Order: sequence, then structure tokens, then C-alpha cells
Amino acid sequence: MPLIRKPSPPHEPAGAPPTSLTEGTSDQRWAAVRATAGQPDGVSLLAAALAREGDPRVREAIFTGLARAATPESAAVVVPYIRSEDASLRAAALDALRAMPEASRPHIARLLADPDSDVRLLSCEIVRGLPEGEANRLLSDLLDRETEKNVAAAAVEVLAEIGRPEALAALARCAERFAGDSFLAFGIKVATDRIGGP
Amino acid sequence: MTELPAVSEEEFRKVCDFLYRRTGMLFTEVKRYYVQRRIAERMASLGISGFTTYFAYLRSDADGEIEKFINAFTVNETYFYREEHQLRCLSSDLLNERVRAKRPGEALRIWSVPCSTGEEPYSIALWLLENWPEVDVQDIEIVGSDIDTECVTAARHGEFGQRALMRLTPALVGKYFVASGKERWRIVEDLRQSVQFTTANLMDPAETRRHGIFDVIFCRNVLIYFDDASRRLAAENLFECLAPGGFICLGHTESMSRISPLFEVRRFADAIVYRRPQGGLHD
Repeated sequence: MPLIRKPSPPHEPAGAPPTSLTEGTSDQRWAAVRATAGQPDGVSLLAAALAREGDPRVREAIFTGLARAATPESAAVVVPYIRSEDASLRAAALDALRAMPEASRPHIARLLADPDSDVRLLSCEIVRGLPEGEANRLLSDLLDRETEKNVAAAAVEVLAEIGRPEALAALARCAERFAGDSFLAFGIKVATDRIGGP
Repeated sequence: MTELPAVSEEEFRKVCDFLYRRTGMLFTEVKRYYVQRRIAERMASLGISGFTTYFAYLRSDADGEIEKFINAFTVNETYFYREEHQLRCLSSDLLNERVRAKRPGEALRIWSVPCSTGEEPYSIALWLLENWPEVDVQDIEIVGSDIDTECVTAARHGEFGQRALMRLTPALVGKYFVASGKERWRIVEDLRQSVQFTTANLMDPAETRRHGIFDVIFCRNVLIYFDDASRRLAAENLFECLAPGGFICLGHTESMSRISPLFEVRRFADAIVYRRPQGGLHD
């Protein structure tokens, strides 16, 4: 029977030997990042590397390392990147924060009040991972003060999944404030129906 | 039936945290019954009556309890030729593409992880022997790995019940299995020797790296048990073990695009698979 000729030949282990976080090939930096994650001073080293790193794959490994650390400090390193002009960096930051909802918690209220509507919109997704009671409170508060309909729509979408009866009043007030916006009205109706409201 | 132990909310969280840190498997309150049932089974087998005592025993890893505990949580049911469309894709597209990318004489390496009790890696071997014309002229190395040591032992033994063979024709069973008891069949010796089995934890880069570089990885129906952060780490570990241009096959409910941007999607006639881009980190 063919397939393997025994004994099978030796193979090289996967991955490059780690060298430096900031020097060498992207392969070597990737390995260095992965070796750094989990070390006692890993978060600060990864933070410095992230500020300099230009390769999306290495950046992805840095974000994974920070998400795995899952501390308020590692979340704090990620938060500024949610404002990046680079869409891939912004998305990577959002994914990392979503992957560490507990660690992101201390930053959420500030993100939901950010002057940049894009940041507020993206932050609604992070709220999805929080305990339902807290998520309902945060999104209800956001709906009551939000002026940008796209942000309100993002909050409504999350509430359609995790909403509880205490969010119904904020949803109703939001519908009144944005009366005339058929898309938002539809979203609010769906969320309200799912929560079991009037 | 074993009585469920009294487990407070805080204790439940503790044991879930413990499992998460060790394996990346995430269980929440909705899986409480499932978790408590596993704990009850372990406690009964040890003759321990209180959760606190058991948890202390577990944390101290007395008599290898951590491994036994993890084994109780891994889902091991599978069968031959499961998700056959991916096997068709393997023989009609993936391997041909990989052969073109390799140096003459270089072995094709296929990894089944997790491999449970061996149905998947043996299915790959069987399928290729029956369906890939190149099988006689290529060196193919098939490795099956699982975190569950008992599964790996069973996989090496290669004995299966009727349920595992339900998708195989009688002719295939007759050709590649020998009867080994009432409604039990064992893979023929040659085929057993054609697949290597190892233990591997997808969350541990040191463990995945030592397996080397593969052309195709089957990693089906395990990432769904991981949370976001663990999935990202597992995806990176798998990425590292794939040759540039190599393929990864997930379960039909899973999507690598929702886990990691490292891979590109490739659509073939029989399956959607993920590919490590050619301009990968090994360039």
C-alpha cells in the first residue's frame, strides 16, 4: 500500500526562530511577537512594536497577543487604533477589543461618548460582548443622546439581539427623535418586537 | 445516573475559567448542565463527594486529573467520509495544486487536527487510495493529532464500530478492514501504519510547530468551541504550520474569514477552503 514510505523523513519545525520585535524579516518579527505574548512585560513590548509595525500580518499577531493578555492595560493599547485612518487597522483593533470584552469594559463608556461618530458606531459591537444588563444600560444611554442616525442604527442592531425590556423606553424615544427615517424606524420595530415590546 | 454535584455560580465560573485557560474551550451558563455532568462523572470515578475537594484535586493535577478532565469535555463522535465533499475537493483540486508547487520527490503532508479516534485521517488515506490517480507516484504523509490522549491511543489501534463505518460501502469495508469482534472492524495493518498519530493542543504554539509544515490541514468542528481570542491564536498556529499556498479545511458551519484575515478564501467545485497566501511569512 503506498502513501507513506516508512520511516517518514524528518521535517523542519514550523515558524522562524524569533529574533527582534522590530528588526528582521516579517517572518522573524511574527515569531518574535508570538514569543513575546504572555511574557510579564509582553503588553508594553507589544505596544511599542505595534506603533512601528507596518506589516498587517505581524500587526494581527500583535493584536492577538494583546487580546490574549486580556487586561485593561492591553485593551488600552488597542483602543487608540479604533480611530485609525487605516480601515484594516481599525477593523483589527475592533476585533481585538471584541475578543477581550471584560478587559475592554473600563474603556467602553468613553468610547461610546467619543466625539468621532465612527468610533461610537464601532464601539456598539464591543458592547455586544458585555453582560446583558450592562449592555442594555450603555446602549439605552447612547440612544438617548445620539445625534448620528448610523450610530443609533448600530446600537439598535445590537439591542435586537441582546435587548431586554428596560431598553424599550430608549428605543421608543429614539424612534420619536428620528421620526421620518424609515430605515431606523424599521430597525427599532424589529428590536422592539424581538424584545417583546408593544 | 450520577447525581449532579452542588456547584455555586462562582464555582461554575472558576471551573469554566480553568477549562478556558487550559484548552480555549469556552462554556457559559447555558452549558451548565453539560459541564456539571462532566464534573459529576469525574467525581464519581474518583469517589469524591464535594466540588471544592474535587477542584483542589484537579488544580493539583493529582494522578493526571487535568488530562482526564479535559478528555471528558472533548467531543469525539465522528465517522468515516464525514463531509465527503471536502475529500472530493482534496483529490480533485487541492493536492494537484500542491503537487505543482512542490519540488520533485518532496512529500505532500496532510494534517488532521483534531483527529478524534482516527476516522478523519484514515478517511483521507482511504479516499486518496481509491480516488486520487497520483497516489502511487507521490509520497504522502498523513498525520492525525488530538489533545485527547485516549483518542490518540484509540486512533492508533484503529478499531471502529458500525456507526463509524455507516458511510462506507461494503466493498470498501471488505478491502480496508478486518472483522475484530461483534460489529467491530479494524483498519488493516498497512493502512494503520500509513498514518502517524500524535498529541497536540491547538492553543500551544510549541506543540503545533513541532509538527512541521503541511500542505493541507483539516481542522473541522473544533474552533467553534473556542472563544474569539482562542480562535485567533489557533488560527495563527495553523497558519504557521501551513506552507505558503497550502490549504485549510474547516467544518461546514465554520468560517475562517470571521476568525482571522490571514487566510484567503478559495472556492472549488466541491468545497470552499482557506489558503495561506503565497506571499506568506516564510517568503
